[in-house]
Amino acid sequence: MASVVPHGIGAVQWRLATPLALTYLVFFAAPLIILVVMSFSVDENLGGFTFGNWSRFWSDPFYRGVVWDTLRLGLLAVVATTMLAFPMALLFVISGPRARQILLFIILLPLLTSVVIRTFAWIAILAREGVLNQTLIALGLTTTPLNFLQTELGLIIALTQIEMPLMLLPLIAVMQQIDPALSDASRALGGSKWRTFRKVILPLSLPGWIAGATLVFASSTTAFISQQVIGGARLVYLPSLIWQQAMVVYNWPFAAVASVTLLVVVLAGVSMFAVLGRFARTS
Amino acid sequence: MTTFSRRTLLQAAAALGATSTFTQHTQAQAASTLNAAIYPGTWDEAYRAVVAPLLKTKSNVDVAFDPLWAVDQVTKVRAARGVAPFDCFVLDPGPAAAARQAGLFDTIDASKLTNGARLPAGFITTDQVTVNVQMVGICYNPKKVLNPPKSWADLFKSPYVERLGLTGFQTTFGTVSLIEMAKAFGGSDTNIEPIFQKLREVLPKVAAVSTPAALPGLFQQGQIDIMYTNTNNAATLKARGVDIAFIAPESGAITFSTTLHIVKGAENKEAAHKYIDTAISADAQSKLQLSPYNMIPVNKDVKLSDNLDIKSLDEVAKMVSHDWTMINPQRAAWIERFNKEITK
Repeated sequence: MASVVPHGIGAVQWRLATPLALTYLVFFAAPLIILVVMSFSVDENLGGFTFGNWSRFWSDPFYRGVVWDTLRLGLLAVVATTMLAFPMALLFVISGPRARQILLFIILLPLLTSVVIRTFAWIAILAREGVLNQTLIALGLTTTPLNFLQTELGLIIALTQIEMPLMLLPLIAVMQQIDPALSDASRALGGSKWRTFRKVILPLSLPGWIAGATLVFASSTTAFISQQVIGGARLVYLPSLIWQQAMVVYNWPFAAVASVTLLVVVLAGVSMFAVLGRFARTS
Repeated sequence: MTTFSRRTLLQAAAALGATSTFTQHTQAQAASTLNAAIYPGTWDEAYRAVVAPLLKTKSNVDVAFDPLWAVDQVTKVRAARGVAPFDCFVLDPGPAAAARQAGLFDTIDASKLTNGARLPAGFITTDQVTVNVQMVGICYNPKKVLNPPKSWADLFKSPYVERLGLTGFQTTFGTVSLIEMAKAFGGSDTNIEPIFQKLREVLPKVAAVSTPAALPGLFQQGQIDIMYTNTNNAATLKARGVDIAFIAPESGAITFSTTLHIVKGAENKEAAHKYIDTAISADAQSKLQLSPYNMIPVNKDVKLSDNLDIKSLDEVAKMVSHDWTMINPQRAAWIERFNKEITK
């Protein structure tokens, strides 16, 4: 290992990346290029060039609505997980080692069951005769069962639980590294608890939040199973539209347009969080 | 913080290596067997339990099943572009018509089917063999719906509509049911305008508008108490202890056939014929009709069991059936319209 050059990367070192680069080229870049080409094709055999699929998609208010709803679903999931994750992460950081172990287990619990099972469990909770409605009726808060299934609210409740570990884990990892002396200093200098949180902990934990928000956004906008099962047929999001066009209608070019759109929407969301982070740090 | 020791890394690498040699091994074995696509759920269980052992003992063919819904099978074969990913399809009439149009079927040699003569005339053609007839009608929870709906039109009246679970044109049973409902309000096989009007009217009232796969779960959880589906689905739920009863609407239950086909370019055509022959044999069909499979047999030698919702095969001839070559060209537009008008 004597040949490691301390400054700059030589040709030999670049070659280390070749296996992964080739894998990406064959199994990721090539299909992606085919997908983009497909979206400009007349049929699934890539015969003929057309802008027709794209103009049909974007000139139709229904499909523009689907894009917006997908984006909105991701953002709402980020908001909901953020509001629940911050208090939880604060609790984790100030807890002792034993309590941390228990909390970590609870946080990881959702990841230990398959997303399909978690989603179907939410049917049992949110249904008319489900746990939630029975509790509400028993408490006298409502007389007739409320509809949670097949609503955006129900879907966001379920997604919040399903995606929670993705927000909590990076947040905790970053918060743990904040020097406790900083908050102590803020408190000693007369800062209130809230002011200490806002001025010290929040800015320092932003990198963790950005990582978490990125993961939750990307994961919930593409959560095909949860969207299908809990959202139902009246809430159409890009993943189910892609499935329908590709599998049932056999309109692969149109499915490709929806796929590329989903990819761009997710990338846009992800880069938005990155920009937010940079903005927050400089201001 | 998670740290990886060299030991855990090596263990993980060894495990990965072991799985890859394992899959290579099973693939090598699969080359000598028949690969057949099968619907997930009841069909998968039934064919593994009944058809596979019979095929092994009688013809010494090992069959490996690939659980896929009809539309997924067709898409998979189309995507493979000439390299058959499996040897046999099992399809409903809609996807079958689409697959035929795309040229995905190989010819079936009827002379190789020893049980062929035991099927009613017309059940074997040059590219398909009917193995089962399906029946679609109204299902309801008899404990909660004491006075069940009698017709398709009833579904849109109170108190039924408030308990109804709707599903669109993605599935065969969904499509034919909606067509029959359109007819009940003055439409026809190709003019389904009336059902769209009716759907708009009742949308605020219905219990759920769902994807077909989620319907049984919603029924089981009491979110809906009335739905339209095939007798197979109803039987599966019943076998799991769900309160469910099937009723044929006044205009007649809907029927369509489930067919087996050989995929164009299939590697094991001989074995595929043996598989189809076994599936239509009296041996297999008499077992497939029993609970929990409840598949209506087509072999004339099979005496119908009591658990089925029909008494004789003649009843099937009187049921409502549809021409899918007329439906398929319109289906994409119907799906798009359903999306647009049903969405919140």
